[in-house]
Amino acid sequence: MRIYNRYIVSLVVASCLINVLLASLGQNDLVMYFLINVLVYLMITLLFSYLNPRVKRSLNAIGAVFFAGFMVTVVIKVVDILSGK
Amino acid sequence: MSNPYRILGLCLCIAGAIFVPVSYFIINSIPLTAVGISAIMIGITATVLANARPQISPEACQLILKTGMENTASLFEELGLRSKAVYLPSTMRDGHSQAVIPLVEGKDMRWVKEKIPGRLIVRYGLNPDDMAIAVSTPGSINNDMLENKPGPTAGQIESAATYILAGVLDIASSVRVRLIDDQIHAEVSGSRLGYEDVWYYRCLGSPVASIVAAISSEALQKPVRMKEESYSKGKNHIILEVLP
Repeated sequence: MRIYNRYIVSLVVASCLINVLLASLGQNDLVMYFLINVLVYLMITLLFSYLNPRVKRSLNAIGAVFFAGFMVTVVIKVVDILSGK
Repeated sequence: MSNPYRILGLCLCIAGAIFVPVSYFIINSIPLTAVGISAIMIGITATVLANARPQISPEACQLILKTGMENTASLFEELGLRSKAVYLPSTMRDGHSQAVIPLVEGKDMRWVKEKIPGRLIVRYGLNPDDMAIAVSTPGSINNDMLENKPGPTAGQIESAATYILAGVLDIASSVRVRLIDDQIHAEVSGSRLGYEDVWYYRCLGSPVASIVAAISSEALQKPVRMKEESYSKGKNHIILEVLP
């Protein structure tokens, strides 16, 4: 299997497992699903460090956007917790 | 548009974009909304992977590679060259690593102090009959694709070879390298370019072996001779000899 197919299959399998696992645990917070999905996405992308440099640059850009989303969500959650909401 | 990654990516993005509002507002299901978000994330990634596909088809690349190999093989055959190629680091040439095939087989190689000139027929040693044919190989071109020059340890050579073969070129799954005395043993798994018993491969090695040899030579900053190569069960077993 080509490295790119392996990468896509890994992402699909990981996101399916996460969503099924969280649903089976009765999780009903969309933010939690998003955070864990982004975290696993970043981890898998990091593991595939041998990709073509052109693709790696584009993936880094997407990763940065997802990471920014992740950070914004975390900050909002922290503010919510600190303000006692 | 015929790129399968782009088609997959667009389909996932569109399906996800429709699925997210439907599952959130109509079905009122958070897990299904999360599935939609995951589909969009994977869709964007697949669209980006479309950039990995070359502008020209793999069949055209294979055609160009085969043409070059057959022309070089005809030259070797015409000259009756049977010696194994020696891969030189770029510092021994004019900044571009190449392979030399000695005209006389089985000679001890004593290298000239100065750089070997960038010509087809070169003199590599001190004796008048130390003549060789210098050619560019798939491996010599690939050294330019490395982000950093690899270090002299087995791990660094393995890492550089994996980066080129599995990442940039995507013609193998993994590479394992061991340094044993003055020999380099490399095992390339999942290679999609096997070994053929043809003149070109007997002299210069297969393209996979050529890449490993060129990287090793650049890493060790020493000439490396193609000693042995075999292919079994999807694995290339390559033995290289490091020359003084």
